[in-house]
Amino acid sequence: MKKDEVSAVHTRREVLRFATVSAVGLALSGGGPAADPVTRGVGSPGALRSAGVLAFGPDDVLFVGDITSAAVHALALRTTDFTSQADVELGNFHNFEGRDLVQGLDQKLAALFGTTYDKIVVNDMALHQPSQQIFISVERGRSTDALPAIVKVNHGQLEVLDLEHIPHSQVGIPGEPDDKAMLEFDTQRSFAITDVKYYKGEIFVTGISNQRFSSTLHRIPYPFNAQMATCTVEIWHPVHGEFETRAPIIRQLIREVQGQPYLFAVYGCTPLVRFPLASLKDGAHVHGDVIGELGYGSNPLDMLTYTDPFDQKEYLLVTIDVRSASRIAMLDLATAKPEPTGGSIDFGPGGLGRTQRLLPIRAEHFAILNTKWAVEVQRHPKTGYRLDISSLAMPYFFERRDGMSEMNWPDGPDPFHYREHRNELSRGGA
Amino acid sequence: MRPVNTLPTNQPQLMIESDPTRPGSRCVSIRNLGPDLMAFLRSCQETARLLQTMLRVRVIGVERPGDDDLPDVFGLHEVVETGVRFIPHFPFEPGVHFCAIFDPRQLDRPERSEVLTLEFSLPRDRRPTRTGVTRVFPSCDSLPENLLRFYVCFPNAMQRGGAQEHITLLGPDGRPAPDVLYSPPVELWDRSMRYLTILLDPGRIKRGVGPNRALGPPLKVGQEYTLAIGSGMVDSAGRRVESFYKSFRVTEAVREPILLRQWMMLTPSTKSHQPVELMFPRPLDWALLGQSVAMESEHGELIDGQISIDQGESRWSFTPQSHWASGPYRIRVARGLEDVCGNSLLGAFDRPLRSAADLAREVGGSDSISFYL
Repeated sequence: MKKDEVSAVHTRREVLRFATVSAVGLALSGGGPAADPVTRGVGSPGALRSAGVLAFGPDDVLFVGDITSAAVHALALRTTDFTSQADVELGNFHNFEGRDLVQGLDQKLAALFGTTYDKIVVNDMALHQPSQQIFISVERGRSTDALPAIVKVNHGQLEVLDLEHIPHSQVGIPGEPDDKAMLEFDTQRSFAITDVKYYKGEIFVTGISNQRFSSTLHRIPYPFNAQMATCTVEIWHPVHGEFETRAPIIRQLIREVQGQPYLFAVYGCTPLVRFPLASLKDGAHVHGDVIGELGYGSNPLDMLTYTDPFDQKEYLLVTIDVRSASRIAMLDLATAKPEPTGGSIDFGPGGLGRTQRLLPIRAEHFAILNTKWAVEVQRHPKTGYRLDISSLAMPYFFERRDGMSEMNWPDGPDPFHYREHRNELSRGGA
Repeated sequence: MRPVNTLPTNQPQLMIESDPTRPGSRCVSIRNLGPDLMAFLRSCQETARLLQTMLRVRVIGVERPGDDDLPDVFGLHEVVETGVRFIPHFPFEPGVHFCAIFDPRQLDRPERSEVLTLEFSLPRDRRPTRTGVTRVFPSCDSLPENLLRFYVCFPNAMQRGGAQEHITLLGPDGRPAPDVLYSPPVELWDRSMRYLTILLDPGRIKRGVGPNRALGPPLKVGQEYTLAIGSGMVDSAGRRVESFYKSFRVTEAVREPILLRQWMMLTPSTKSHQPVELMFPRPLDWALLGQSVAMESEHGELIDGQISIDQGESRWSFTPQSHWASGPYRIRVARGLEDVCGNSLLGAFDRPLRSAADLAREVGGSDSISFYL
């Protein structure tokens, strides 16, 4: 309803102040939003206290990393929790034109949650197949009073997932190994979960501690079962054949290449590494094979694979915060000679550089939707602050609407025949 | 609780009330709908949808993205005694302007066709305008070239998201040194969000890794740097931080493990309340010192008392609750204890390469220092 359409309106425009009453109310509750205990929608104790990294698992399970609880939750979503987005218009694939699927995501989330856009934090995005529905993890508030939610996009509208009725289980992240009844500072320690991935009956959880410079990777069986042991691995990074240092993993990806399962990971100090999955055994101290470098000052954001619709090859894609994304052919990653324990790696045209290519992606969150389209959460390039969810055509991940080109003029040159294909539209199903 | 300018009581009234499900929070109600309308609502099948169009709350006074409308505030609708109540999913945020709308037109009832609106906002707490940084660790003003991290301590819970922009390391020329501080994917706050871990770029500290080859180590020996914490850092109540600066001079790198045999210990007299003191040849990590060193009896029971860390994190002392009985004691030190460069009891941060094959996970376990009173 727009206000100007309304006929008989009786409007009370006083801004009501509740100074006395609310002061009493706040005093009763212990003062301030931080004292508010469990919020509606989050349900019983043990439920979500923060909403960070997201990953889909088998049978429509959504894993959510919860740093505040030091836990990973498994939300067993039901068929009623999904709506197919197959008919959503994605754009014009031939002409590299995507669509804004949600404009002003942060502004809309702020309106939905009764706050201002600066209090909204979008932590991660995951895509569900086969519905192609976008799920995001959100927090309202940036302090100890932050309230978590999982929000999904339904044909451009935002819907809050009702967590109270979703079957749910969770597992605590094993504490730091020196955790034996030390002292009262325990609440000061935190483990920032950086990634959760599911593979064949287990979840792989990585993170960074706020104290020890630790490098643990946890392999936890799913379904969660108190009897089954968590496997904890220390990740080390060999340098120059002389040294080794601890290396927290920021993002990971598990894929079979030539029949063998590998875990590909990006370290906080920028190397891209691979591990044969079999080497990640409980109690092990494992070196990753360095097979790439992201360049100084950059942070990896997302890591995923996709098949190039033009050459049909599979590629690993790493999106980075301050640089262009990097892509490398998967086959090369499996066969690439790792950095020998001495010397520097060959990233030149004769080595991995042969297929490593930079791509112009500036997304804060990124995922592959189908064979031709990806989805990104990005700051709109023209305004710089508005957060949008947009589609992006593969394999160049190039958005023609963001730039100016000669084809925009009716009499300009059109070597790629954009004008002929002007009216073609892709939808989610394609 | 009555709003100003009350309408006659047989008319519907939009009101802000206490949320019965959440102490200290508010909800919005429309009351005095009349028995006919209440009976109709109670008998409806699809009430949820109807209630959502009938009673809505929106954030107002904010910009709309492009051509789109902003969604209504999300929450739960309930039919109550004389009307309908809306409880927001997350409590209404103080300082935000809302408009509650009662729009009965979709109900298609002749007796109720008037739309009512009510604008409201909840007051923010009055607060002093500024907060500050209490301490930065390591507290020394000479720090080694391969320093790994700082801890920045605040008096109250802070808001996340400001570290990359508002915390910088100024170089010898007084300008921000580029690519020196690491931005982790999630800011490294403790649970109370009162202290923040700032890492220097491990890629530059680790000898031989790409960023180290390209740019060299983050700090240069002999030069002076300043960690600057700017007023853009804001606490949970919205108070800005007074700018804070910690200057230090850079000394040679330290690349060796922590050796217990290099520690000095001062033991107390029996039957006294004097502290036992450990002194280290170089400063250790403030946060880990508080966690990794424990005073125990011979049989491993923790002894009640007070720990203090001072002298630039080079001294750890323990003062017992009761006076010392004579007998054997031990101080247990976790092997994961680190110094300011990340060197631990187990090895240097950059330590000699070992074969990956058969090494068990070695963090875990501790060493002891025994003494007898």
